[in-house]
Amino acid sequence: MVIIVAPKSKESKQKIFKDNFWKTKGFKVSIGDITGKTTKKESKISEEPSLPLGPTTKPNLTDLRSWDMKLLSRYEPFYAPFCDMCCLCTYGKCDLTAGKKGACGINIQAQQARTVLLACCIGSAAHSGHARHLLEYLTKKYGDDLPIDLGMNIDIEAPIMRVVLGKKPETLGDLKEALDYIEEQMVHLLSACHTGQEGSSIDFESKALHAGLMDNVGMEIGDIAQIVALNMPKGDEDAPLVELGMGTIDRNKPVILCIGHNVIPGSGIIDYVENEELEDEVEVCGICCAALDITRYNKSAKVIGPISKQLKFVRSGVADVIVVDEQCVRTDILEEANKNNAVVLATTDKICLGLPDLTKEDTDKIVAQLVKGDLNGALILDPDKVGEVATRVAMNIAEDRENLKILPDIDEITEMAKECTECGWCVRSCPNSQPMMDAVVAAGKGDYSKFIELYNFDVCYSCGRCEQNCERDLPLMSMLAKVGEHYVKDEKYNVRAGRGPIQDIEIRRVGAPIVLGDIPGVIAFVGCTNYPEGGEDVAKMAKEFLERNYIVVTSGCGSMTIGEYRDEDGKTLYEKYSGDFEAKGLVNVGSCVSNAHIPGACIKIANIFAKKTLEGNFEEIADYILNRVGACGVAWGAYSQKAVAIATGVNRWGIPVVLGPHGSKYRRLFLGRTDKEETWEINDLRIGEVVKGEPAPEHLLYAAENREEATVMIAKLCIRPNDTSKGRQLKLNHYIDLHRKYFGVIPDDVHKFVRVEKDIPIIYKRDIMEILKEKGWKPRRIPQEPSLTQLDGDLNE
Amino acid sequence: MSERIIPWQPTVIAGPKQALLVTPETAKMMIKKAKRPLMIVGPSAAEEPLIKYATEISEKWKLPIVTTGDAFKAFNERGIETKPYGIVEIINLLKDPDWNGVKDEGQHDLVIFIGCIYYIASQGLSTLKHFAPKLRTLTLCKYFHSNADASFPNMKDAEWLNYLEKMKMD
Ligand code: SF4
Ligand code: SF4
Ligand code: SF4
Repeated sequence: MVIIVAPKSKESKQKIFKDNFWKTKGFKVSIGDITGKTTKKESKISEEPSLPLGPTTKPNLTDLRSWDMKLLSRYEPFYAPFCDMCCLCTYGKCDLTAGKKGACGINIQAQQARTVLLACCIGSAAHSGHARHLLEYLTKKYGDDLPIDLGMNIDIEAPIMRVVLGKKPETLGDLKEALDYIEEQMVHLLSACHTGQEGSSIDFESKALHAGLMDNVGMEIGDIAQIVALNMPKGDEDAPLVELGMGTIDRNKPVILCIGHNVIPGSGIIDYVENEELEDEVEVCGICCAALDITRYNKSAKVIGPISKQLKFVRSGVADVIVVDEQCVRTDILEEANKNNAVVLATTDKICLGLPDLTKEDTDKIVAQLVKGDLNGALILDPDKVGEVATRVAMNIAEDRENLKILPDIDEITEMAKECTECGWCVRSCPNSQPMMDAVVAAGKGDYSKFIELYNFDVCYSCGRCEQNCERDLPLMSMLAKVGEHYVKDEKYNVRAGRGPIQDIEIRRVGAPIVLGDIPGVIAFVGCTNYPEGGEDVAKMAKEFLERNYIVVTSGCGSMTIGEYRDEDGKTLYEKYSGDFEAKGLVNVGSCVSNAHIPGACIKIANIFAKKTLEGNFEEIADYILNRVGACGVAWGAYSQKAVAIATGVNRWGIPVVLGPHGSKYRRLFLGRTDKEETWEINDLRIGEVVKGEPAPEHLLYAAENREEATVMIAKLCIRPNDTSKGRQLKLNHYIDLHRKYFGVIPDDVHKFVRVEKDIPIIYKRDIMEILKEKGWKPRRIPQEPSLTQLDGDLNE
Repeated sequence: MSERIIPWQPTVIAGPKQALLVTPETAKMMIKKAKRPLMIVGPSAAEEPLIKYATEISEKWKLPIVTTGDAFKAFNERGIETKPYGIVEIINLLKDPDWNGVKDEGQHDLVIFIGCIYYIASQGLSTLKHFAPKLRTLTLCKYFHSNADASFPNMKDAEWLNYLEKMKMD
């Protein structure tokens, strides 16, 4: 049918999404669904693979090893040990410094790679554990047979699963098979970390890449399950803007705060509040991805912000009940909540906090115990019960808590600050060496401006390390929270609710411009808030690339950080840019698990635009993405094991990632060497010849020291061997422009990216011709089908 | 916390091998003994007065400069020649015994750091500690860098600037 194979006008697209998914939530059939199914049957794009299956369905640990070796011989692992020792077994501790081996024989490279593998396993397990939770709950509630239908504009559902498992899941129940597979792989991967197993760093890396891939599958399972069962937006570019910021909360109402990543307890609360018609009486808000996913479920929920808000918001005492689910929750949350009589509900088996399990207890009794203060929290593993308990307790205790004095008064802060001995330990213990001492000293003189600077954009991400080390035991986080509460009033922003996957139609529209280079790149700002200088840097980078016509994708804490910025016109970037997956689009895919849609979009380009088989065809797809899809991930504040698993996974798909400076602590990067020309040779499949290549993309995993360096590197990492001359001109133009902006000159390596004279951006022609002359440049043939496959030297071929 | 010699960010402690604490005199000895020293200047030293100190020290000891982050711009604006690299890129090259150095005259034997962000510099120094056994590393920041071979101690500004003054003299 025509509407599927040709791009539709924006107008008709909007029509398709006119059905209000918020209202239809809970109903299995919506208008969109019905139309979707009709279209599918008539679609010319076959659902089943038209080409034979690729060679690697459900790959085992070693099945994609030869691809890994290709990547790793070009992008050699660069190790920066974070610790010189190993203390994993009782042979140790072993000192592995400078060539020494451990008692088991392991060397420092293998030990670093093992640690990365371990981190990837942990991260991947967090996502697949989360997916398992979701799936068990959702299949119980909606049945195994609930079809996986992402609406009429998405025929290629689950691109990652199609490639990795060799088939597409048709129903919710089918996702279990995918989970079974990754769980099995994860056991083997984790077992490789045991003392006396793998001994080669490069094989540890191959396994880490596998763990990353399993992570990508796990995220896709989790997000697809929640999208179809909870009727979250299905690739809707017009997903609503939802409220963001501490200033959006009505503090006079009872407040329930959800922290973590699992939407189910939060949805339990929303359902209870709606069923009891308490929407105007209770505030439901969230921090981290749980918040994002609750707004995908119901747009009336509010997002406080990314994880960097956690301690200061909890300290502020605004939340009456704190509901934690899984991942990235402060492990001292109960202790912090106790300080201001807030109640904590733990809701998953991952975080029990030593609380009594009251899952089977009578609801009235639980509420009574919590309200009376007999208990300071409870473990409740039934989301519906969580909904009721959280709401009733919050409504009961809010009034009493209002009279509690939770934070010091401003005058008290001045008095406290005078106690400071200027020992400087707060600054030394800060991961970012933020000037906490200066803020305290100034506050002692009644000047709060430096505290405000720390508070804004989460320059201080309230990790609390300074407070732990203050020799006068000053409650630095409470002081920060109070100053923020008192002086920073306008904390109202917005974020576009996570839209989930990219539509096939959009891919059809932008596939060619991306592969040919007319759209200079797809840049994904993902990850956490471990920012060296606050969140403003991420928003500024996003803005810079949006203004330059890139497609900017975002998710998780990154998407909230971007929303917390207003430009010179006072607008957030979400207000300024559309949510379309096209040039100048700012696309929020959703929470951490929604990250799967980012490599998913690249995979769909290979399929829709280049007609590559997906099923079981990992290597060909990854090879295509690496050489032809100008996408680059940016995890400016990555901190968690999940972040390293995500990055490692997308690396295996051939997508480079730029990390912030803290990323160097992951211990391993994948760096290319432009001076080693032989590493850039590629096979031009069209002519069947190995030809000279170029360092594109130059690195696979890179850590930049500051925003300026990162911005230039991101533009450079969007260059691909497949760019047409017109596309290359555009990409080089941005790279040179940005280099001139941040370094003052045309980059010294520009000749490496000029294949023929036509590649040179016109406005820089004269300067570049001079550079080319100086460097003894000679034109090269532009490869038609650049590939890393079938090159000599493959370890396994 | 006590004032033992511990890294400026205490959690940087990595293992038994720790930097030697040096004075400007010893630091200068190291430079004099080196055949192909290199200075790496990070973005924290791209402003006055540090940019002036870094320049004068490099001129005094004829040290080629590599700038990291975006430090290149500030030096370039002052007409000072430097070569820009990402800190992880230059560290990656320095650990390769076959790399021919920034001047194409052979791998360096001493690297002097100033002005790089503390924790990423610390990671880079760790790489060199483990994987570049022939290369010496020296840090001139006001922070003790335990992953270097030799480092200035943790200092207050006045004391540090005094150290840097001394680095400009014979
Ligand atoms: S695992 Fe190996 S290196 Fe680690 S402590 Fe045991 S023997 Fe030592
Ligand atoms: S809370 Fe953490 S980030 Fe903030 S100043 Fe203290 S140590 Fe630094
Ligand atoms: S640690 Fe405490 S006493 Fe020391 S400088 Fe910081 S605020 Fe002052």
